[in-house]
Amino acid sequence: MTAIRITGGAIHDPANEIDGEVRDLCLDGGKVVADVGPDARRIDARGMVVMPGGVDIHAHIAGPKVNAARRLSPDDRRDDPLDRTAILRSGTGGLVPSTFATGYRYSLLGYTTVIEAAAPPLAARHVLAELRDTPMIDKAFLILMGNNQVLFELIRESRGAVSSRLRDAIAWWLEATGGYGVKLVNPGGVELWKQDNGYIESIDDHVAGFEVTPRQVLEAIGGAVDELGLPHPVHIHANNLGTAGNADTTLETMRTLSGRQTHFAHLQFHCYGGKPGGQPRSRAPELLDHLSAHPEITADVGQVMFGPAMTMTADAHVSELLRDLTHGKWINHDTEVETGCGIVPYTYRAGNYVHALQWGIGLELFLLGKDPWQVMLSTDHPNGGSFLSYPKLIRLLMDRAYREDQMGRASQKAIRRTALPDGLDREYTLNEIAIITRAAPARRLGLRDKGHLGVGADADVTVYNDRDDREEMFATPRYVIKGGEVAVDDGDLRRVDDGLLLSSTAAFDPEVSDVLAPLFGERYTVAFEHYPVHDPVLREPAQIVEASK
Amino acid sequence: MVRACCLRFPKRCLPVAELGPITCAGCALLCDDVRIERSGVDLRLEPRCDLGAEWFGERVAGAQEAPAATIRGEAADVGAALTRAAELLRGARRPLLHGFDQATVDDARAAVALADRLGALIATDGLGGTWPGAPAVPLRGASTATLGEIRDRSRVVVIWREDPESTHPRLLQRLGFGDSSSSRLGADRTLVVVDNRATATVRRADLHLRWPRERDLDALTSLHVMQRKLQARPSGLEDELGQLLDQIGAVPHAAFVHGAGLSAGAGGQRRVLALHELVRELSHDRHVVTLALPGAAGIRSAQDVLAWQTGYSDNVDLASGHPELVTATESLPADEGVDVSLCVEGGGDELGDSVTQIVLASRPRQDVEVSIRTAAAGVASTGTAHRLDGVPLTLQAPEPGHAPTAAALLGRLLEELER
Repeated sequence: MTAIRITGGAIHDPANEIDGEVRDLCLDGGKVVADVGPDARRIDARGMVVMPGGVDIHAHIAGPKVNAARRLSPDDRRDDPLDRTAILRSGTGGLVPSTFATGYRYSLLGYTTVIEAAAPPLAARHVLAELRDTPMIDKAFLILMGNNQVLFELIRESRGAVSSRLRDAIAWWLEATGGYGVKLVNPGGVELWKQDNGYIESIDDHVAGFEVTPRQVLEAIGGAVDELGLPHPVHIHANNLGTAGNADTTLETMRTLSGRQTHFAHLQFHCYGGKPGGQPRSRAPELLDHLSAHPEITADVGQVMFGPAMTMTADAHVSELLRDLTHGKWINHDTEVETGCGIVPYTYRAGNYVHALQWGIGLELFLLGKDPWQVMLSTDHPNGGSFLSYPKLIRLLMDRAYREDQMGRASQKAIRRTALPDGLDREYTLNEIAIITRAAPARRLGLRDKGHLGVGADADVTVYNDRDDREEMFATPRYVIKGGEVAVDDGDLRRVDDGLLLSSTAAFDPEVSDVLAPLFGERYTVAFEHYPVHDPVLREPAQIVEASK
Repeated sequence: MVRACCLRFPKRCLPVAELGPITCAGCALLCDDVRIERSGVDLRLEPRCDLGAEWFGERVAGAQEAPAATIRGEAADVGAALTRAAELLRGARRPLLHGFDQATVDDARAAVALADRLGALIATDGLGGTWPGAPAVPLRGASTATLGEIRDRSRVVVIWREDPESTHPRLLQRLGFGDSSSSRLGADRTLVVVDNRATATVRRADLHLRWPRERDLDALTSLHVMQRKLQARPSGLEDELGQLLDQIGAVPHAAFVHGAGLSAGAGGQRRVLALHELVRELSHDRHVVTLALPGAAGIRSAQDVLAWQTGYSDNVDLASGHPELVTATESLPADEGVDVSLCVEGGGDELGDSVTQIVLASRPRQDVEVSIRTAAAGVASTGTAHRLDGVPLTLQAPEPGHAPTAAALLGRLLEELER
């Protein structure tokens, strides 16, 4: 592995409180080091911006729902082919690129770590196999647990309290699947959808057949994850996504988990005022006030970008609503015991009141938020738009004139119902961009060696030409260094790296198997002994992050 | 639990040896609760499945009898056969990779990698394009579910012109029908079979609807119209269709099982599309799902791998240097000018005399240019396969063998071609 000295670049490393200081950065053995010898390769970064590699805390890149979306949308990729080369596999792009294309394109964008935010544990083998075929990036996945019937049984047994059995079961599931963290999607609501198209109105509704409520699921699983000390806190897609008035549910969910470390996914979709069935309005400022008072909560935004998107979610009830709005393609897939899945291609239109309001709410979350460490960048790829739109989103945040131009093209009725026209002149700095795209996500994921450039950090580095056009700047990094090797040089992929699987582990009592086995036997059509994934070919190469408790 | 010697040396293990639980790759159900009892040469699966027993038996016997490789029917060593295969592929004008009946995920991964390198055509749905669902799904989508969802939620299950009792013998049991029912719904469920043949599945039906196959599109569209309470064109099927809608209308959750009986042949895509449109309509006031029955155990794995590696499923052309979707035709090899084919763990695709054939399979063929025996996944080698509902499962190796896997052979071919 070649030692590298990056010289003369302006370093933006907010985790180490470095804000544009021009200094050398040395890399060796896949790590950031204090110094390298005279034989090290020199990269002249004068006039350039140096940041840690990007970390995407919430995207959908692998697994059965992503693959179903690929199969649903051949037209989307026909005009976006990726040719094979001497070192690259061929593929296709579009909103849901093939696996190799996903890895290459994230790398070309300067990202080096990506989290698949919602995977059915039962499909872990499939998810792992896709991630193995997604090169260039380190990757992890969160396992869906908010509608797991076996966990419902344990929660009912403990009457909603955190129990040692529940903690053990969650740790067992992470071990069995290679997952990194725990995701709750519409807790209880997906189960009702699968029963008879039912849905949750309040987090105190009962989940028929299980005598548990969403609030109990949140308290019990959120509490158990917190007590286990997993590197990433419970990752929540709250009930009532996309519904007018859902801000009440979101705030109630936040209050339920008050005092516990929690990450809220795509908060933009959960910030709506108004009455169910009516026109939504923004309640982003209230949500941000709550975040300000609760540093234990973080969120990613889930910005929508005008143009085509591919909605895909375990919250299949939402897909039913979108199906009936679009009258277009629709996939529903129910996974026994654990979760659901819905997929609907969708287009966000600037002139549409709801879409423009969603766009505006996302920007409110970014621009009104006081602490960028709390509100991170995501488009919930590809739900709000492709990850390839991140540079445009960054420009919206950094360039007020551009933002105002874009606002002028959107539904004015919607924009007027946000804080955007009220002289919101904030422009993100490069350091703030570095926070929301790498430092904060890495910290929130508990990845101590990522998201910063201190000695000992992973040598994942992105070097940008410092251009006035921030969209162009962030779309075309000059260099991307992954694991200490130059992966991208001047827009070309030069080297293919497999990337690591990131998994987490927490101690558990192995006798929990005696509890789980009969519950599996009653509910799954897969034998308990065949459920865990132990195949080294799927689990390695890996970096295992241990729970802190 | 697994005692390999019992299969390898059955006569030493008299009177009864038991292996398991293991996953049976005898059909796309991939039952993973199977125990094998072997007494001398007799082999029995528990739960009982004659198809599975036959599948295991053939592969155990095949492993002992077939040569490791052949070139034009003559025994050869594997290295020489690979060299000859590489020569053929290197010189091919229009190579085709196909088969996948018994492929694992790793076999399919290696096949797509090789096809990418060769710029080959890759066909995973059989050369006649009979795999159900996929051609229609990209048009409008589908509502689907895993086996357990149907078993524990669907009070009405409609089997549409399939005979799973013959092709997927434990399907009904695994969906909770029968004496050993394990459905959480108990016995209060209805099995509807649409078929005008006298099949074993028809004999299990609570409601048997018997219009002929050529009326399927008419029936599906009429059901759709009736469900929407629109004026239906007289079809002569009103009574039977009304019975079916009454059954479904009375329950909160229903499922349709379909396969080549609906999708095969001219008009198949339209019929499957009509089924999915009907399900979509029915889904407005209840939960309705479908389950497609692939013809072979490895097809779902291959289709899934092809989709994630190329973005397209079914048949993909890599000749231009990137993936392009190919619509299945009546005769893919002839239409596409294929001159060399590589069959990966395939069954019996018919190819013309103008095609030089290479076969990698656990049941090798001697009537082709090159044939190399592979370790049968699920018998002699481990791996991962995707069940018909997409659930990934591990395959065990109750009788580990020395033959290479198809994935390993494909990897060696790729190395040879890149040399």
